[in-house]
Amino acid sequence: MLVKLSLTSMRKMFKDYLVLLFGLTISIAIFYMFQTLAQNKAFVEANAMISATMFVFHVGTFILGFITIFYIFYATSFIQTLRQKEMAMYMTLGAKKSKITQLMFMETLFIGLISLVIGIIIGMGLTTVIADVLMDMLDFSAEATGFKAIYASSIITTVIFYIILFLLTSMVNAWKIGRKKVLDLLQANKQEDFIKTSGVKTFFGVLFSIILIVIGYYTMIHMAKLQYIGVILATVTIVPGTYLIFISFLPFFVKKLKQNRVLNETGINSFTLGQLRFRMLNLTKVLGTVAMLIALGLGAMTAGFSFYHNVELQASKFQANDIAIYEPTKEDMKTLEAMELTEENTYRYKVIGNGVFFLKDSLLERPPLVPHTGDEKGVGMEKLADIKIKRVKEKLPAPVYTMDGTKGEELPDKWWNAISFELNADDNMFGERTIYVVDQSHYEKIDTEEKQVIVTKAADFSKHLSAFKQLEERQKRVAESYVGHPVDKTGGKYNNYVGLKSFSSGTVFMGIFLGIAFLMMMASVLMFKLLSSAGADIERYHMLRKIGVRKSLLQRSIYRELFLLFLFPAIIGLVHVLIGMQMFSFIMVEPYTKIWLPISLFVAIYGLYYVMTVQLYKRIVLPKQH
Amino acid sequence: MTQAVLQVNHLNKLYGKHKETQYHALKDVSFEMKIGEFVGIMGPSGAGKTTLLNVISTLDQATDGSVKIAGTDITKMKQNQLADFRSQQLGFIFQDFNLLENLTVYENIALPLSLQGVAVKQIKPNVIKVAENLGIQDILPKYPVTISGGQKQRVAAARALVHEPALILADEPTGALDSKNARSLMETFVHMNENLGTSIMLVTHDPLSASYCQRILFIQDGQLYKEIHRNHTRSAFHQDILHVLSEFNTPSEW
Repeated sequence: MLVKLSLTSMRKMFKDYLVLLFGLTISIAIFYMFQTLAQNKAFVEANAMISATMFVFHVGTFILGFITIFYIFYATSFIQTLRQKEMAMYMTLGAKKSKITQLMFMETLFIGLISLVIGIIIGMGLTTVIADVLMDMLDFSAEATGFKAIYASSIITTVIFYIILFLLTSMVNAWKIGRKKVLDLLQANKQEDFIKTSGVKTFFGVLFSIILIVIGYYTMIHMAKLQYIGVILATVTIVPGTYLIFISFLPFFVKKLKQNRVLNETGINSFTLGQLRFRMLNLTKVLGTVAMLIALGLGAMTAGFSFYHNVELQASKFQANDIAIYEPTKEDMKTLEAMELTEENTYRYKVIGNGVFFLKDSLLERPPLVPHTGDEKGVGMEKLADIKIKRVKEKLPAPVYTMDGTKGEELPDKWWNAISFELNADDNMFGERTIYVVDQSHYEKIDTEEKQVIVTKAADFSKHLSAFKQLEERQKRVAESYVGHPVDKTGGKYNNYVGLKSFSSGTVFMGIFLGIAFLMMMASVLMFKLLSSAGADIERYHMLRKIGVRKSLLQRSIYRELFLLFLFPAIIGLVHVLIGMQMFSFIMVEPYTKIWLPISLFVAIYGLYYVMTVQLYKRIVLPKQH
Repeated sequence: MTQAVLQVNHLNKLYGKHKETQYHALKDVSFEMKIGEFVGIMGPSGAGKTTLLNVISTLDQATDGSVKIAGTDITKMKQNQLADFRSQQLGFIFQDFNLLENLTVYENIALPLSLQGVAVKQIKPNVIKVAENLGIQDILPKYPVTISGGQKQRVAAARALVHEPALILADEPTGALDSKNARSLMETFVHMNENLGTSIMLVTHDPLSASYCQRILFIQDGQLYKEIHRNHTRSAFHQDILHVLSEFNTPSEW
């Protein structure tokens, strides 16, 4: 009988349950989405640019798990607030407490299991759609890389994780309702959630949160040195630090705002701020969660985009010049003339038998640019940005040099780099021949036609990609004429660029994929919380309307209140991202390249989402006009 | 002749759509209230008290007839005009206090002034003045949850009074109070009426509370049934009220 009653009333409260079901489902879908990447070790390791990516995913699973546990506990306790009055009524009518406890347990578990099934299905759908779209955009194929949208291992992980979680929350819910007195349950709605903020506690809370976050930021900036420990340290400082800021600092901040009398006593501000203050107190943890999810989502997206935009910068840190053109033709010269060049050096060489002879004087006249890593003393580098492009300084006093020093002096390091990577005088170009750098007198003794190589750099490499492609094609033919058989030419900046680009698309895919997942989760958490507590506000808005507040003013108050609620986590999340990008500076030249792109994308989505929440909220709380 | 603060003329209110079963909540109700008067409205449950109050307070619209408050006909106003009118000309006191529990007592009282754009400098003296008048100056910094029911109703009265409205509408203000607090609140009303010249319309079904009024209108089945004036002591008036009430037929006898 009770089961039947409870089902009927669940149907009656369908709207509320829909909000809850939606929240749980999204959480499960996102968890599943994340697991399709995190569990697919083969895919991640084949496509990541950082060797520790798998480890980062483990930490990510931990953070997501932490947030999810918190969220699910909150969401299921919402069932209790929906149902406790009714449960109490059954008790006053003579239902046994054990029966009620059992009912509560079953109900929570029931909702959990339904959302688990729907959530996994939605998760699969979302994963498939998002992965397809992204892979299509990035020119990146799923079959080749082993990414699977429907992945058994992640289904199992998701199911186990959530079943345990739902069992736990069902027990907690049942235990909570079993512990309460009937009277308390009956009057549950009338209880006020009034919390006082004490000065000393706030002070230490703020202090502690700042210390934690500063440590976390310091760790992220020096991630290259700290590595694995750094990732763990940053996680255990920034996550609790963020929550603490919302728990201690924000209520204090709003209180201070309220104490400004001019601000507080103008128009409807006192009500807006009062709402905000009350909201703040029971929203602190949700706002902390939202800030963390924004940081993770936006961070993943920004990192993804940044990898993509850094490919060119990265390629130019590995090679100072864009191309070395051997035996330039008229056509080549014409192509070069069409570009704005910042560097154009011509060196002379002769090829005979099994030797290639570069004229020392032509090299020394204007030595090529090469990347210099580390400082003068040769101490290793920490960031890619530390690489400086400088001209080779070393003089070459000996008459004959070779690359390995077997026939004549060994070339100094920088010159070695210049000949192999800037002039691309390698096996692919000249086959088995020995590369010499010789002085004028030796050079003149070689009885063969003199040739030229142009080493050049354009002002804007990415503007002339197709031209470089053509030039490299021509160079391939030149190389084939030296080697005598088809070659697979890999040197040259253009080839490196293409290689890096295809390599990075895996990382970009993961970044954007996770970014979308986290931001969706964020949206569902915030919306769920705001809308589930809107019911309590209805009376307040009706009251204000009664004493004669214009509807437009009430609307403005709602817009402002929710704006501030949306603003705080966005700011903190954004700062986390901006500092967090420093983590990638050891692999990216400029982690902040085109950072406005993911950020404005985020702001647009977040803004849209804000307007949507306001509309829904308005529909709930504002009195209907007759 | 003293000017009228409220003029109700041939007021009708029908509930339910056309052609369906209609319920005639108010039938041709007409009366007048003078400035500075303290009038009570009494009647059994379902007589139309709350409907009358809702129409006068502009929260509900009349089907027919007119209501003039301080010379303005509110039946012809638009929604936003009505909202402004409520905020300027009317003060409300409800049975369940209707205080905003997320604001302090001070902020609750100050709200009508803030909403009207009164300069911040002038708000504080006004709030303090009205709080002193009602004896609640000590609880100004507190939140509504921490004060008693009697105090809450005083705060509600202060909020209704602070912007000096033309008319205060009180809907069962003593309904949620014990007899001591109810008595003290009614004395506050008398004080407001006599010393501050506030016009008050009180809807109640408690004869003791009603006995503080100067005049009482009885309504039954949507019609004005009787009107009595207080001519002598309050306890005698109390007896008069009880007498009228006993004349009412209980619904079961119909």
